[in-house]
Amino acid sequence: MAKKINQLFFNKKPVSGKRTALALFLGPALLITILFFVIPLFMTIYISFTPTKNWNIQKYLGTFVGLQNYERLFRLITYDPDMRAVVITTIVFIAITLSINVLGGLALALATYFIEERVSTTYQVLWLLPRMTPVAVYSLLWYYFFHGTKLGILNNLLLALGVIREPISLGTDPRYLPWGAWLILIFVNGLVGVSFGMIIFYSALKSIPRELIIASRVDGASTLHLIRYIMLPLIKWHIVFVTVWQLLSLLTSYVHILLLVEWRIVDSSWGQTWALFTFRTAFMVVKDQGLAAAAATILSIIGIGLGLLALKILGYREMIIEPKGDI
Amino acid sequence: MMVEMTDVETIGRRKYTVILGLALLFASLPLIMVYFVLIASSFANTMLTGASLGGIKLTIENWILFFQGKLTTTAGKIYETTDILKYILNTFIVAIGVAGICTLTSTLAGYAFSRIKFIGRSFLMQFLILLHAFPGVALIIAVYSIYVYTKLSMPQSFWTAYAFIYVIIARAALEVPMSIWIMKGFFDKIPWEIEWSAIVDGASRIRVWREIMLPLVKPGIAAVAIFSFLAGWEDLIYVLVFLPPTEKTLATYIESLLAEGSLEFIHLPVVAAAGTFYLLPTILFFIFARRLMLQTATGGIKA
Repeated sequence: MAKKINQLFFNKKPVSGKRTALALFLGPALLITILFFVIPLFMTIYISFTPTKNWNIQKYLGTFVGLQNYERLFRLITYDPDMRAVVITTIVFIAITLSINVLGGLALALATYFIEERVSTTYQVLWLLPRMTPVAVYSLLWYYFFHGTKLGILNNLLLALGVIREPISLGTDPRYLPWGAWLILIFVNGLVGVSFGMIIFYSALKSIPRELIIASRVDGASTLHLIRYIMLPLIKWHIVFVTVWQLLSLLTSYVHILLLVEWRIVDSSWGQTWALFTFRTAFMVVKDQGLAAAAATILSIIGIGLGLLALKILGYREMIIEPKGDI
Repeated sequence: MMVEMTDVETIGRRKYTVILGLALLFASLPLIMVYFVLIASSFANTMLTGASLGGIKLTIENWILFFQGKLTTTAGKIYETTDILKYILNTFIVAIGVAGICTLTSTLAGYAFSRIKFIGRSFLMQFLILLHAFPGVALIIAVYSIYVYTKLSMPQSFWTAYAFIYVIIARAALEVPMSIWIMKGFFDKIPWEIEWSAIVDGASRIRVWREIMLPLVKPGIAAVAIFSFLAGWEDLIYVLVFLPPTEKTLATYIESLLAEGSLEFIHLPVVAAAGTFYLLPTILFFIFARRLMLQTATGGIKA
């Protein structure tokens, strides 16, 4: 009993107990984070200053070549048409898909907000399906859809409607490039991306005080007025957050695109984004890890910048509740 | 009074349900169509992609061929057999490994972030969000370099096992930051009084965590376990990069099938069966845990 009183009123509990507990609770997570995030990040930056290729790490990791990889990368962007295609594709793909993700998410959130709940839940679940589908299956769905022969769903639809007379390969036929390839990338990624905005915006709309909406209805506001003057201003920070977060996601996602390129649904130069270029340079085509690491470092710098911006918008301090007390 | 208020607020909700519901249905048609074609084709003798749907028969032959590993032919009806059961098992091993590591580390760390004051706590929490958003492609180059380097110091007979262990931990690492945030959210909901009374009675933090908190955060543990299982189950890139080409999972198998094979030798409805089988955990999850998904979906996976 005396011990407990000591602990309670004089805070005499041994400090080492808390340290041991903290080490146990945080240890595994910290270890994994350091081994697989922190060290690799610095190592990628380091590799970008070495001539590493073909994973011959023993041979090349000791050689320092300064900014040579970065110079090569910028020379490629200036003179190599394929590399320029990567840059243009990345910009176009991100700009259009981002607009679709944010505006589409907003449209879905508003539409599901204004209808009865049992109908809206069904649609929300349906639109979340692509996000939860294994990426190989999701790409397989679009493989069947965009296939360049009579097997493709799109070809069959267009043939039936009389738009085309022969099956077309939208993503690889030089006649439709680059927009054919871009259209497929935008469509496939847009359908995954809108659900993020939908969920965030929907919960933001639901948290608007009912009195506000009732009051404006009593004053005779039409639905459009309600959206324009009440709802959108109230969720404006959510819109900014979703935009930044989705920009970051689009910049770094490449797995669907990798499969569509490998399966010859989209062209390999007009269907390649910066992240995919990085991956393919390191692992698939030329296996030039020095160059890939330079491309990855540039991506990381943009990524960290956007991540910090997103954090600032989130207003993290309000999100983190302080523990009420330590005994 | 209340009835009147909701009436004013929900003005025209009936009317909107019909109009917007139809508009949403129209917008959702491509999604509904592609999923329908995949699942239905796995039960048909030919792909349901054609405009003319005559001559289609219902069959389970695709599923039998799939489980026998007969997805490609050399000529006519002579099949090449792949060890599909091994690939399914591999997919399970990776998924369960990722789920195990993620659930354990985040249940431990989530408690600390929710309940213990320590220096750097707020910084670490923000750091985790940054990590979650960090470009994975920038990490994998270095993560693979470390793998190549460490592999050489091991006996060759251990290489395959090492590849599996490494791929599981490396893939789990990607899910750890968000899992900690999800677990912290579940710990935050539990009243402090319960814990205080235990601590006053002299229990250590570790005992409180194990005996009092764990039973109370079971839904959180389930959520993290399911999400990290699905993350491991669906992984393509890490499995492709780290596992030797003989050790495929369903993802890398489907990937290599369509990348290397010519369409003359692949029976696409059997591939549809493979895809549908691979989709099963997602479908089960949708049926049994809809609410959980709507709450936590955006945290788990990015796109």
